[in-house]
Amino acid sequence: LALALSRPRGEDNIISEEEAAQYDRQIRLWGLDAQKRLRGSRVLLVGLRGLGAEVAKNLILAGVKGLTLLDHEQVTEESRRAQFLIPVDADGQNQAQASLERAQLLNPMVEVKVDTDAVESKPDDFFFQFDAVCLTRCSKDLMVRVDQLCASRNIKVFCGDVYGYHGYMFSDLGQEHHYVEEKPKVVKGSNEANDGPEAKKGKVDPNETTMVKKTISFCSLKEALEVDWTNEKAKSSLKRTPADYFLLQVLLKFRTDKGRDPQPDSFAEDSQLFLQIRDDVLETMGLSSELLPNTFVSYCFSEMAPVCAVVGGVLGQELVKALSQRDAPHRNFFFFDGLKGSGVVDYFGSK
Amino acid sequence: MRTSLLSPLDQTAACPRRRNAEPTMAQLVGPLRKELADSLSSCRVLVVGAGGIGCELLKNLVLTGFKNIEVIDLDTIDVSNLNRQFLFQKKHVGKSKAQVAKESVLRFCPSANITAYHDSIMNPDYNVEFFRNFQLVMNALDNRAARNHVNRMCLAADIPLIESGTAGYLGQVTVIKKGQTECYECQPKPTQKTFPGCTIRNTPSEPIHCIVWAKYLFNQLFGEEDADQEVSPDTADPEVAWNPADAAARATASNKDGDIKRVSTKEWARSTGYDPVKLFNKLFKDDIMYLLTMDKLWKKRKAPLPLDWTEIHQLESSQEEAFGTGLKDQQVLGVQGYAQLFHRSVETLRSQLIEKGEGAELVWDKDDPPAMDFVTAAANLRMNVFSMNMKSRFDVKSMAGNIIPAIATTNAVIAGLIVLEALKTLNSDFDQCRTVNLQCCSFHAQHNFDGFPNNNKFLSDFGIRNGSRLQADDFLQDYTLLVNLIHSEELEKDVEFEVVGDAPDKAPVSSVPEEGKNIANGNKDSAQPSTSSKAAAEDDDVLIVDSDEEPSSSTMETSLESSNRKRKHHDADTDDAASKRKRLDQQPADDDEDIIALD
Repeated sequence: LALALSRPRGEDNIISEEEAAQYDRQIRLWGLDAQKRLRGSRVLLVGLRGLGAEVAKNLILAGVKGLTLLDHEQVTEESRRAQFLIPVDADGQNQAQASLERAQLLNPMVEVKVDTDAVESKPDDFFFQFDAVCLTRCSKDLMVRVDQLCASRNIKVFCGDVYGYHGYMFSDLGQEHHYVEEKPKVVKGSNEANDGPEAKKGKVDPNETTMVKKTISFCSLKEALEVDWTNEKAKSSLKRTPADYFLLQVLLKFRTDKGRDPQPDSFAEDSQLFLQIRDDVLETMGLSSELLPNTFVSYCFSEMAPVCAVVGGVLGQELVKALSQRDAPHRNFFFFDGLKGSGVVDYFGSK
Repeated sequence: MRTSLLSPLDQTAACPRRRNAEPTMAQLVGPLRKELADSLSSCRVLVVGAGGIGCELLKNLVLTGFKNIEVIDLDTIDVSNLNRQFLFQKKHVGKSKAQVAKESVLRFCPSANITAYHDSIMNPDYNVEFFRNFQLVMNALDNRAARNHVNRMCLAADIPLIESGTAGYLGQVTVIKKGQTECYECQPKPTQKTFPGCTIRNTPSEPIHCIVWAKYLFNQLFGEEDADQEVSPDTADPEVAWNPADAAARATASNKDGDIKRVSTKEWARSTGYDPVKLFNKLFKDDIMYLLTMDKLWKKRKAPLPLDWTEIHQLESSQEEAFGTGLKDQQVLGVQGYAQLFHRSVETLRSQLIEKGEGAELVWDKDDPPAMDFVTAAANLRMNVFSMNMKSRFDVKSMAGNIIPAIATTNAVIAGLIVLEALKTLNSDFDQCRTVNLQCCSFHAQHNFDGFPNNNKFLSDFGIRNGSRLQADDFLQDYTLLVNLIHSEELEKDVEFEVVGDAPDKAPVSSVPEEGKNIANGNKDSAQPSTSSKAAAEDDDVLIVDSDEEPSSSTMETSLESSNRKRKHHDADTDDAASKRKRLDQQPADDDEDIIALD
């Protein structure tokens, strides 16, 4: 299946008066240029549970050109209760399909599409039609594969999940991500040394700002997840390392081994397995089980709605930043602990 | 204030022998322990505001498992809300936010029990009894007056309050619990920025000065005249030193139609039939020439350059009206363009006045096109006179309308944090509450009347002594009081105090139009209640943090705050006031943990 490889990048984008009225409050924040770039961007979103629905909402409201909702799973009572896009009578339908109508109504100016295939079944070039991909509820192998495919083609890659009270976001914006930052313009005073504060040059506006160009590089997901903890340098940084990084590793392994996330229905059995996997994973890394005390377990089931909101908000905003190429992106993980109410940005991978 | 969530595993962790015991005891309902899930479905919560934070909050509450929710908002839906208030669609524009929010939420959670009020929370119907119905109140407001009000009601009813605010990329969440934390009004909040009269009238140096001037001009010509909103040259400017020899020059330069000092701007305008060309020449030529005679002002400043209507239109018309690929509002016109805009808007506003009849007054509203056109034109013409780069209508509107930029994601994150705090707050009922004597607002009069722990203390305990002055306002914020305390040995038996002096008048008529103007100006930070149900007003949520990063547009003073009639707020600018703010040691260290500032 040959797909067009050209992706409109915001040139020739004319914002209509209708869009200007609707996007007014955000244009006043990130500017017209950023809005135009958003308006030319196509995004793939995989997984429409609690976190996926939040990201979908945030991107649709922001005004991307197109958003493809991809999910092969069916709506269950539990999945329906986790998000706000699926109607009450949709049990049994495809999750992405069931979310479509309400998602589209959020902003008719965005092209919202549905894909009911399993993401694992997609050929490489499927991903090339997008400017950014956001993967939720995906296996580690799939995420690593897609990340490798996309990053080299300047397609921005994001991963994220929420498990109970915890959540994370990862981004790979490629080796060379260019962006701009708005900085206040430095106003030079007039030449006369005796002048008081009122003496300004006639034409200078102290409120003016200037755009500064920057470039930043990201490492791959594979690198980020395969940090070597056995060397001395890594060991010394362990104290500062958020436990959530290790929790993520354990949960990804659970997902790979069981083909699903821990479920409340099988709390006892899943908790046991979780603790065992924790032991295995940490031992393989050469680390102590004490990094993740037993207490973590009961707070990792299902998806906490407010945690989806927080992680979905951060993830959504990072997508907006990356697509609009404006403002410094988080690099490269964001971890959120809903029990403590604390969020932290941290970098894992080669410097 | 931090309470730990109970968990069966906490019990095992507390008991060393069972540290690694099997976690078989927990019963989960989705992600929550069963006890917590049950308590959520029975408790009642109040959400004040159904805008940016409110929509996200309602969604989070029902998805988390809260069942009984009441939501109140006096506003109606505007198209500019749709980029973030996701419970609303274009077809809902004009309808009640609270009502539509309720309907939208019920569509994905029909079992939720939601009551919606299209009303102001400051309506006396919502008394302390009303607040006592709830286990928790959450603010999702955009103005200080309402926040102050809800703060007081929650203190009076002894209900925990979760306060929050957002602006752009910044946001904040704070939990307020009587007896445990300081309240919303304990800390003085930044007041609206104001500019000195002479800066506005004589020596503007920034676009904002010109914009404020243009808004004053609107009121002087078409709205309610205000003595603190003069637009004519200020002869009382302390920088100007009067020199008798200048008198002749001034006389020549002054308006042909009479001594501008004796006739009000409005009267003068009337006398010319609101002739736009005459108005233009007076404001941008004659008055400027008058300013030029005050030569001390221009020794170190670039002098203003007067404009003349006829001369402007004789210039070659430049590419001002080039339409390019831009949006209309984003264009910056030239002098001719703004002169034309001035002319058109004056004529339109004049017609509006005539239509309204004798004695009519217009209220400035950023969403009223001719009003916004007028300010855009007048401000830009003045900027041009004072050699500043002119601004697009888009930029002028930001500043004139105090528009606070807003996006969905910041609100989504903050609303998520609010619910997490809500869970912790509610859960504290299971734990022993720490008994802490955290004094809160010890000098707010109402606390002494409802049995607050202060009753057994002496005034001297708070640093109050003979000759102290207390600044206070009443519960409903109707009065500003300055109370002088004089010690007396001569009071009658059993008389503890005597009030001497005139009973204060309620703030005069100005309070009503003052509110109106402030609403229309989108000036939500002025602590005036937004009572308009038409709500042409700006709906954006306001950051309540004392932050240097607060964008200048949100701290702009454009309206009546410079007035001496302004109700004073808790400025805490006396040493006495500062010492009264007793805060126990417990506090600040823990405080920040409940707050996340996001960038």
